[in-house]
Amino acid sequence: MSLTPLHAIFALMSLFTVGGAVGVVLNRNLIYAAMYLVLSLFGIAGLFILLEAPFLAAVQILVYVGAISVLITITVMVTRCVFCKEPPPRQLTLVAVMAALVMVTLGFVIMTRFGGLTPAADVPADSIEQLGVAFVNPQAYLVPFEVASILLLGALIGAIFIARDDLPRDEEAVGGDDHA
Amino acid sequence: MNLPTLESINLLAVLPVLIVFGWTLVLLVIDLFIPSGRKYWTAWLGILGLLGAAVALAVRFIDARGAAVTAFDGMLTVDGFSLFLQAIFILTAVIGILLALDFLPRHKIERGEYYILLLFTTGGMMIMSMAADLIVVFLALELLSIPLYILTGFARPRADSEEAAMKYFLLGAFASGFLVFGIALTYGGTGTTSLVGVFNQLAEGEPSRDLALVGMALILVGFGFKVAAVPFHMWTPDVYQGAPTPVTAFMSVGAKAGGFAALMRILIVAMPAVGEAWGMLVAILAMLTMILGNVVAIAQRNIKRMLAYSSIAHAGYILVAVSAAQRPEDAPLAVSAAIFYLLTYAFTNLGAFGVVLAVEREDGSGNLLEDFAGLGRSKPVLAAIMTLFMLSLTGMPVSAGLVGKFFVFQAAINASVGNPWILAAAIVGIVTSVISAFYYIRIILIMYMQEGEPQVVLKPALTVALALTALATLILGIIPAPVFQLAKDALLTLVG
Amino acid sequence: MSDFVIFLIDAAVKAVLIIVGLVLGFAYTTWLERRFIARLQSRVGPNRAGPAGLLQPWADALKLFFKEDIMPTDADRIIYTLAPAVTSVPALIVLGVVPFGGQISLFGYQTTLGLADINVGVLYIVAVTSIAVYGVVLAGWASSNKYAMMGGLRATAQMISYELAMGLAILAPVMMAASMSMSDIIDAQQNIWFVFLQPIAAVIFYITILAETNRSPFDLPEAEQELVAGYHTEYSGMKFASFFMAEYMKMIAVSAIFSALFLGGYRFFGLENLLGGWMGPIILFVKIVASLAFMVWIRATLPRFRYDKLMAFGWKVLLPLSLANAVVTAVLIVLDIIPSFA
Repeated sequence: MSLTPLHAIFALMSLFTVGGAVGVVLNRNLIYAAMYLVLSLFGIAGLFILLEAPFLAAVQILVYVGAISVLITITVMVTRCVFCKEPPPRQLTLVAVMAALVMVTLGFVIMTRFGGLTPAADVPADSIEQLGVAFVNPQAYLVPFEVASILLLGALIGAIFIARDDLPRDEEAVGGDDHA
Repeated sequence: MNLPTLESINLLAVLPVLIVFGWTLVLLVIDLFIPSGRKYWTAWLGILGLLGAAVALAVRFIDARGAAVTAFDGMLTVDGFSLFLQAIFILTAVIGILLALDFLPRHKIERGEYYILLLFTTGGMMIMSMAADLIVVFLALELLSIPLYILTGFARPRADSEEAAMKYFLLGAFASGFLVFGIALTYGGTGTTSLVGVFNQLAEGEPSRDLALVGMALILVGFGFKVAAVPFHMWTPDVYQGAPTPVTAFMSVGAKAGGFAALMRILIVAMPAVGEAWGMLVAILAMLTMILGNVVAIAQRNIKRMLAYSSIAHAGYILVAVSAAQRPEDAPLAVSAAIFYLLTYAFTNLGAFGVVLAVEREDGSGNLLEDFAGLGRSKPVLAAIMTLFMLSLTGMPVSAGLVGKFFVFQAAINASVGNPWILAAAIVGIVTSVISAFYYIRIILIMYMQEGEPQVVLKPALTVALALTALATLILGIIPAPVFQLAKDALLTLVG
Repeated sequence: MSDFVIFLIDAAVKAVLIIVGLVLGFAYTTWLERRFIARLQSRVGPNRAGPAGLLQPWADALKLFFKEDIMPTDADRIIYTLAPAVTSVPALIVLGVVPFGGQISLFGYQTTLGLADINVGVLYIVAVTSIAVYGVVLAGWASSNKYAMMGGLRATAQMISYELAMGLAILAPVMMAASMSMSDIIDAQQNIWFVFLQPIAAVIFYITILAETNRSPFDLPEAEQELVAGYHTEYSGMKFASFFMAEYMKMIAVSAIFSALFLGGYRFFGLENLLGGWMGPIILFVKIVASLAFMVWIRATLPRFRYDKLMAFGWKVLLPLSLANAVVTAVLIVLDIIPSFA
């Protein structure tokens, strides 16, 4: 098996993913940790592209980098003492030992299951259409799709409820317009 | 594209949960027009929807006679097991709403969202009991959990409620992470997320087994958290204590039953091939859970904390039943014992929390054991009901608890032939039941033997809830046979 | 030469052309803005450097190059330095999926004008715009200045809020073209532009791109009365110029995207095939300039939003409207009432 540019890209993306994850855990500055998280998520998006799943790559960036990590960053900025760089206390040794244990176990199991490389199957040209149809097809993923919708609605209501700070204390004065 | 046939979708079979979700969405809009201060309308409308779902469930039950079908082409399984559990969930939700009806205005946190979120999580539990695909399991678990996190923090800005919500959310998200990782590994090993597919793959052979084993262990961790099994129980006492009491009551029953529903389906239906492995793990978890729950409960001075540890302990007894289901031939009896136990626990625990609610004061105090002193003299009926619930939780005669425990241990001893782990779990269960008598009966003693002036507020809805649960506890204790027969017929099946 | 090498050279040349085009475009967009806004305000504008002030951008660039580069003492050095680059990169790469013309032939070599026509082009655009916010928020944080910080946070809240409406507005042309590829969307508009078929989506999209680029009337992150200069208060010299450049490059990029989604892109009823296909880029250029001029016109006309009004407008007006528009469009397409150009 000869090395192709794809191997180099794969190595780079893996480095981003794993290195970013390590950076998140080890960094003492929360903003830096958040940025390492972004790096890691970018690496995953790159891996999706290598797997010929550009849709997932774009969604990965849109959702995880563009929305979730931004929220994490803002949250860090508005809740911590913004400019200070004090490290939170940690139990790094214990965590490292546990992580190593899990990694060895999983690595062993995965190697026995997938020892060596398997060539990827061909990606159909209309994979995005297939994905879209599968989401709304009652014989495919309609149920998870709808359950997820209701889940998000519930989370939305809850988030608004938690975040509202104008809870009516006087029931009579507020009347009927206090819905969230 | 081929249009799917109506048969493969089978909307009728999942009608109860469709009613719950559909009605909740309608209620969400109706709630906008209900003036605040009259949110009990939302509550009663919610109960109406649940009753509608119950009717649909009953019709389905009579129609199907235990025959199992799939809906949405194998995404959901509607079998006796799921019907039985859905009945428990609907009952729990109705009583949960009744418990909250007076509590919320009394504590000035009456808002329509409470009932909406409660209905959402009920729907999540119902999906959970039917889920035949790991993706659905995960989403249903989140649908069950996220509204509960919010309900836990519903008494904000009371600090202990917020703290409880925060703890529950953080640890719950962590546990979900384990579950997802477990599902991912199972998928990696078997190449499918459908339970039928996992079953077939595991039955076929070696290569997928190792990975699925690790996946199974992680799934067990995830559910261990949801059902509050030791060592994943740390959140339970704080969350139960901090959450508004009706939420605690609902959560202690509903979330536990939901977690067990999916756990049993995954382990027993999809993974009998690795039954020996998970049987041992579950038995060990069960022993730890029973011992820790019952022993630590003795030291509690706060009734909500005590009931939290009691709830941990009861998760242990159900785990004994689950571990007894590791061999397919023992599974039917063990499963029916587990779901029957869940039913008895639902009534008893909801009732016990109902009494706690009646004694609780508006500022959130009144949860100490001493606050029950003198209840026997000032409110003899209430004290008698509480006595019944405590006896039932212990597993004393003439109460549902005894019957539940009896069936569980019977199933365990049945299955323990040649399996020392289950036998050990059963023995630990019996010993710890005796230990548990100490702290349950202490409450009874405090109520009748100590002097005190408990301040009891007993409004109609709460009275109805208490009457319902007490009656059910009594009936299940005296003539359990018909209901247990239902549980026996409620088979957990693999369809697809 | 192997195909792979040809592909690499082809891609590299086009990428360089896009970047050079954007940077030059930035220079002359500033000129356009200053001259045009001066006219709107009955002034003359810069007219000293070169004919009609055409050399003014170069003079400005030279000046900024020689400015002192200041870094606040408490600033986070790494992020402070990286933030301008992080802001510029999305603006530079977002045009990678937009075609500038059809097939052309150059010295016997056939190629299409456009870097990459991927099948998730629209998603790529939305994804890249969504990461543009990092540069702003990090610049605000790293400056260690409360005005900068607040400017950064405001920008983030604003961009996240308007992104939703933007995504839903884009959905309309995507559904009508039944494709997320930019060239398919342009091809679907050969006979009639989507701006006529989807006027609501077009208006919403244009409003949201103003908000995404922090242009007036949505230039709150740099509202000078409240926040000095917002997130780039502490920046000077070329670092400041990078923010400035990023803003104008974004304007050009979103104008190009708007043209492609709603104005038929490089096509103009067959005219794009003239000059051996080279007419396409010229048509696109005209459309972009028109859109830029419109932005300047808006800036000269409308006052700035108040912050809470901005949020209310985004969440309570644009989002429901774009959602309703998407739903109605979908229903109409399914019912075959309006055509889908699949």
